[in-house]
Amino acid sequence: MKVWSKIFTALIMLFLFAPILILLVFSFNGSNSLSVFSEPSLFWYRELFKDSETLGSLRNTLILALSASVISTVLGTAAAVGINSLRNKFLKTAIDTTTNIPMVNPDIITGISLMLMFVFVGRLFGASSSLNFGTMLIAHITFCLPYVILQVIPKLKQMDKALPEAAMDLGCTPVGAFFKVVLPDIMPGVITGLLMAFTLSLDDFVISYFTVGNDFQTLPIRIYNMTKKTVTPKMYALATIIFFAILILLIFTNLSDEDANSPSNAKRAERKSRRVENRKVISPKVYLSAAAAVLVAVIILIAALGTGRDTLTLNVYNWGEYISDGSEDSLDTISAFEDWYLEEYGQKVKVNYTTFSSNEDMYSKIRSGAVSFDVIVPSDYMIARMKDEGLLLPLDFGNIPNYENIDEGFKGLYYDENNEYTVPYTYGVIGIIYNANKVDEADVTGWDILWNEKYSGQILQINNPRDAFGIAQYKLGYDVNDTDPELWDAAFDELLAQRPLVKSYVMDEIYNMMESGEADLAAYYAGDYFTMVDAEAEDVDLRFFTPEYTNFFIDAMCIPSCCENKELAEIFINWMLSEEPAVANAEYICYACPNSVVFNSEEYIEDMGEEAIEVLYPGVENFSELYNKTAYKNLDQDALAYMNTLWENLKVN
Amino acid sequence: MTKKMQKWLLAPYSVWAFLFMIVPLIFVAYYALTDNDYNFTFENIRKFFVTTSSVTNDAGQISEVHTYILIFLRSLKLAVISTIVCLLLGYPMAYIISQSSPRAQKIFITVIMIPMWMNFLIRTYAWMTILQDTGILNGFLGLLSLRPVHIIGTEGAVVIGMVYDYIPYMIMPIYSVLAKLDPKLTEAARDLGCNSVGVFKRVVLPLSLSGVVSGITMVLIPSISTFYISQKLGNGKFYLIGDAIEGQYVANNLHFAAAIALILMIILLAGMAVMQHFADIERKLEA
Repeated sequence: MKVWSKIFTALIMLFLFAPILILLVFSFNGSNSLSVFSEPSLFWYRELFKDSETLGSLRNTLILALSASVISTVLGTAAAVGINSLRNKFLKTAIDTTTNIPMVNPDIITGISLMLMFVFVGRLFGASSSLNFGTMLIAHITFCLPYVILQVIPKLKQMDKALPEAAMDLGCTPVGAFFKVVLPDIMPGVITGLLMAFTLSLDDFVISYFTVGNDFQTLPIRIYNMTKKTVTPKMYALATIIFFAILILLIFTNLSDEDANSPSNAKRAERKSRRVENRKVISPKVYLSAAAAVLVAVIILIAALGTGRDTLTLNVYNWGEYISDGSEDSLDTISAFEDWYLEEYGQKVKVNYTTFSSNEDMYSKIRSGAVSFDVIVPSDYMIARMKDEGLLLPLDFGNIPNYENIDEGFKGLYYDENNEYTVPYTYGVIGIIYNANKVDEADVTGWDILWNEKYSGQILQINNPRDAFGIAQYKLGYDVNDTDPELWDAAFDELLAQRPLVKSYVMDEIYNMMESGEADLAAYYAGDYFTMVDAEAEDVDLRFFTPEYTNFFIDAMCIPSCCENKELAEIFINWMLSEEPAVANAEYICYACPNSVVFNSEEYIEDMGEEAIEVLYPGVENFSELYNKTAYKNLDQDALAYMNTLWENLKVN
Repeated sequence: MTKKMQKWLLAPYSVWAFLFMIVPLIFVAYYALTDNDYNFTFENIRKFFVTTSSVTNDAGQISEVHTYILIFLRSLKLAVISTIVCLLLGYPMAYIISQSSPRAQKIFITVIMIPMWMNFLIRTYAWMTILQDTGILNGFLGLLSLRPVHIIGTEGAVVIGMVYDYIPYMIMPIYSVLAKLDPKLTEAARDLGCNSVGVFKRVVLPLSLSGVVSGITMVLIPSISTFYISQKLGNGKFYLIGDAIEGQYVANNLHFAAAIALILMIILLAGMAVMQHFADIERKLEA
């Protein structure tokens, strides 16, 4: 029995710690792959400390977890004392049931319900942005509260009722009795509650996802928004550091707290007497640390709310990993802009930089009025839709003189025919990425290869309806913007026929799968292909093929109608077009750039290399004509709904 | 502290709970029962039950199914399997912990909590590295000259991800009940002639039932509504109810997203009530 239980325990521990071991090991990876280990290196640790955005989101996560756990502990402990003294049966049941709501409700429902309420109330008061740090904090406190209460109530029940009475008989005031007798006795429960609340808040993704605003991005949200670009070992390095920090903290608290209470019954009596003796010794320390924690939380809270009071604020909303952020010796664009602005205009500006994972995600946030942004970077078809719905403001190009550097081929395109609303940021093409060691080059002739049964189980398809349907439509030679349901049904049949051959429907997972040779064929963006090549395993040889009929996309900087400082937004856009940031961003993102300052820059051409320039800039003669013909345009509501229905239909198969 | 003051301590929480726990649910119902112009309608609810898709099975036969009901049942199935696995692994673990020395108990509990401090998105990512066909697990099997296994993209991978993420929520409540169990009870049962199995069946298990019930709740609820795990470990091939809600949210169909959420909530609450009812009956019988 003893041996079996030891083996069982070991297996469970292996199960719990295997992934942690993996991320520990891969954080020391020399390449940017999460599945192919090249050589040991501290590279990603150096990168991490240069990445102000990630460190900022880590700080935000800690601020949020600390404030939420402290506030919910204070509120919850008070509530527990109140509940414990309740004698009214009906009231007690009502409160118990309510407390259970956040626990028996799935996270996704708690998140959605709070979001709906915040947005509704925000709209009622005409607020430009109804989601912010405050709403996220409220959401976190709300789901932490029940856990605190459930930890404290049992301790209150165990407590000897005579204790506070005795204290009062001996001359304590009721409040004094609470702090001197009751609180120390229930302290273990309070501390467990605090720890649980902190842990839950730290790890929460789902509720944050629905309630996040424009000013406060946490780590889980940042990681989730890397879905279009890759998750690098930098995140593993961060996790490793957190792991060791916690380990040290826990060892330290364990050592200093040698005779902490054990729940074992055999020792209960002994423990109780010891605790009574220790009470005088322990309580000041506990109070002191609790007070310190509250103080720190309040200071951080004030600091968090205080920033931007007398400085200008610019809220930028961009794709994940879509700006040069200071890693790998690149330019830290955001802080460079802040410095430049201070020097140029003598005023401080604070840029809140947040990210989204898809056009639709961004659109939902802005449409619902949940958040306010000054600069956004949507793709072409979404620009058309937002423009039609009046969600974009015309730009004052007097403030954006650098616009003249944009190549003529990128002006007057369908989504902004009169060049009023947009400044193109990047563009690119979707092509076929294949592993030349496994795929016969002769087969690589067009989209048909993604339906080739020879490569069954090796094919990756994009996990978003528009791109997946687009590939089927390009294959069939259809116009991707024709809303005729019959054509969509035909494309759906193609995707259905492809489904058994598809290994996986992917977004960011594509990087791992292609780099490691887990899959051999995929459709993805040209720029991202280079990221994969950099990290490919030894027996993998990735190549890129551009089919004749394919998708060109353009992502452009725009100013949404919820913008609060339009001139500042325009100054930012203009600055982004100037040489240093523009080259740095183009090199970082690896997508093609329509800015002539960039593609004529010798430094840029040299840094990128010949092959990259060839793949990224296919030298299309009459770009605007080809683009207007093949690009995704905005589908009307009915066509979109039909596409989503077909997509769900494909997914349930 | 007087009784009156104690009651006043409850006031801030009552206000909070009303504003942020009850009112939001009213908003879910409000959105679920209105259209885009906030006019009352049952259309969203109806859509959940009547939308159909044609599904081709392995044999190539095509059949009509109710899309969202199928998605719900599929989520329920995976969640139930995950919960059962969590219980089968978590209960013995909780029992072993409760039997160890007080110091070891503390260490165990800490160790089980540690993974939760690292972001679950990152941990799920690490599982991809382990489980993929060219991953660590198959590399390891290869070293032992064993046949590689195909796990990623199967239901098994999604279940592993869920069990991994939620097993602490099973171990903790069971452990805390077992730890409070008076050893005198088991001793008494033994003195009265029970063998180990009998002691477990007649004393330990019934008394730990409340922990089991809360463990099941705490695992079942999050695993039925997850959307990240199924996306990453299921190769995007398992479309669960959480994916459906998130998909509708991203497609900006807030009213239909709210309708799915409302229906899910009602089903879960009904399930919980039934489970609680049986647990109460059991407890009364024991008493």
